[in-house]
Amino acid sequence: MLQKERPSATAGDPAKPILELRNVNKTFGSVAALHDFRASVALGEFVTVVGPSGCGKSTLFNIVAGLEEPDTGGILRFESRSVHASDLLGRVSFMPQRDLLFSWRTVIDNAILALEVEGVPRKKARAEALGLLPEFGLSGFADHYPHQLSGGMRQRVALMRTFLFKRELMLLDEPFGALDALTRAMMQRWLLDVWQKNRRTILFITHDVDEAIFLGDRVLVMTARPGGVKLEQRVDLPRPRSPDIVTSPAFIEIKRALLAAIEEESMKSFAAANFREYAQ
Amino acid sequence: MKRRTIATRTIVPSREVQRGIIGGLMLLGGWEAATRLLELPTYVLPPVSGIVQAIVERRAALAAAAGYTGGEALAGYLIGCTIGIGVAVLLALFPWPRRGFVSVATAINSVPVVGYAPLLLLWFGTGIESKIAAVAFAVSFVVFISTLAGLDRVDRRAVDLMRSFGAGKLAILWRLRLPTALPLIAAGMRVSTVRSIIIAIVVEMLGAYGGLGWVIYQAVMQIDFVQVWAAIFVASAISLVFFNLIGLAEWKLVFWR
Repeated sequence: MLQKERPSATAGDPAKPILELRNVNKTFGSVAALHDFRASVALGEFVTVVGPSGCGKSTLFNIVAGLEEPDTGGILRFESRSVHASDLLGRVSFMPQRDLLFSWRTVIDNAILALEVEGVPRKKARAEALGLLPEFGLSGFADHYPHQLSGGMRQRVALMRTFLFKRELMLLDEPFGALDALTRAMMQRWLLDVWQKNRRTILFITHDVDEAIFLGDRVLVMTARPGGVKLEQRVDLPRPRSPDIVTSPAFIEIKRALLAAIEEESMKSFAAANFREYAQ
Repeated sequence: MKRRTIATRTIVPSREVQRGIIGGLMLLGGWEAATRLLELPTYVLPPVSGIVQAIVERRAALAAAAGYTGGEALAGYLIGCTIGIGVAVLLALFPWPRRGFVSVATAINSVPVVGYAPLLLLWFGTGIESKIAAVAFAVSFVVFISTLAGLDRVDRRAVDLMRSFGAGKLAILWRLRLPTALPLIAAGMRVSTVRSIIIAIVVEMLGAYGGLGWVIYQAVMQIDFVQVWAAIFVASAISLVFFNLIGLAEWKLVFWR
């Protein structure tokens, strides 16, 4: 069901952007969270976003998920149409940072939450989700409750819920941020595997540079607040990517460029934070 | 870790019950001993054995009274819970009159129901209606406040997640806010059980055709203090049963805590 045949353009088709942001600003009172943010995401592309903490990554996601409206004047285009952020509610598949599983629902019922909201009969939705359990490493756990699962499994249930909300664009906000390093590495490989099979467009926030390079076709480095795009880095590493790719010269070279850019921005936001502290 | 939580779920209630029973027996034993050793007159404090004996002897009348009071309390309780939950849900959906509404409700409820009891008797008569109204009134407030608190406890981010799925207010209420509120709603309902019995009895004492409160009032008039205590014992017994039934339902329903 999730399988979608698409010509194997690994890096997506830049001629056909699914999402475009130009001159997008967002201010909260006197605080500018995003300033002149511009980016475009091609159909089928895996774009990762890194940046110093508090750089407005989550604001960006909230806008693309339709939860928050940007300041007027910016351009937001989705599927080649100009849209308001609120038009994107229900059209983009969004996975927040925390798994936010409902403790009163079993694994299977958590996974079908979006389908239920869409009005799919529960029986049908469950049948569909049951078929996906093995792929998400959750076979035999359909009737477990979230408190009975490990962190990695909870995250996979949340991902499954996001996948079952079948939208072309998926937003993943640091989905592996809370996991330990080993689980995290496994989840990254697993996610690539699932993505390779299902080929959706993914916009993925992380603060881990290795993760950003390992997963993405393209990495966007954000500036310190107000967030804009500092650097856009193509990742021309072959797919499927094996775990030891992280030690290859090409990977290291990309990492060096990204780290330099992030370092500069982190220093800025660090200095700004210090300045604020002294000013008080 | 996981096994422990499951184990404590099954062990803790029985241990609590054990302690409760032991504590209760010690209290009754001390009571019995005190009345006998100090030779207290029955109008001060009758011995437990005498009270139990009275309960057995007058079981038919007491059972009828208990049924009368229990019926009033239960009817008022159900109406009160419905109103409390219903109004809280309405205010969650349409929040603008909320602040005013909560202040007025709090102001009205800062006076004990007994204060309104004469009015309730005047409006609803001496029959069961006035007791049901008083119970419903008090219960609805407690359940209303706890439901409101429970509905407020919802995680903003979970609401955003539901919105991103295209969910409307009703879907968010039904699939997220009400389940989130359930533990607090249930706690409010559990606390209200005892309150509903107390209020039914108190209003009965001010005027009624039957019930435990009426029995107590009559017995006081006839200086029959054993009867007063017998009615009190029966009242606490039905309170305990009511409380624990709702507690059990809560434990089954809010299984994820």
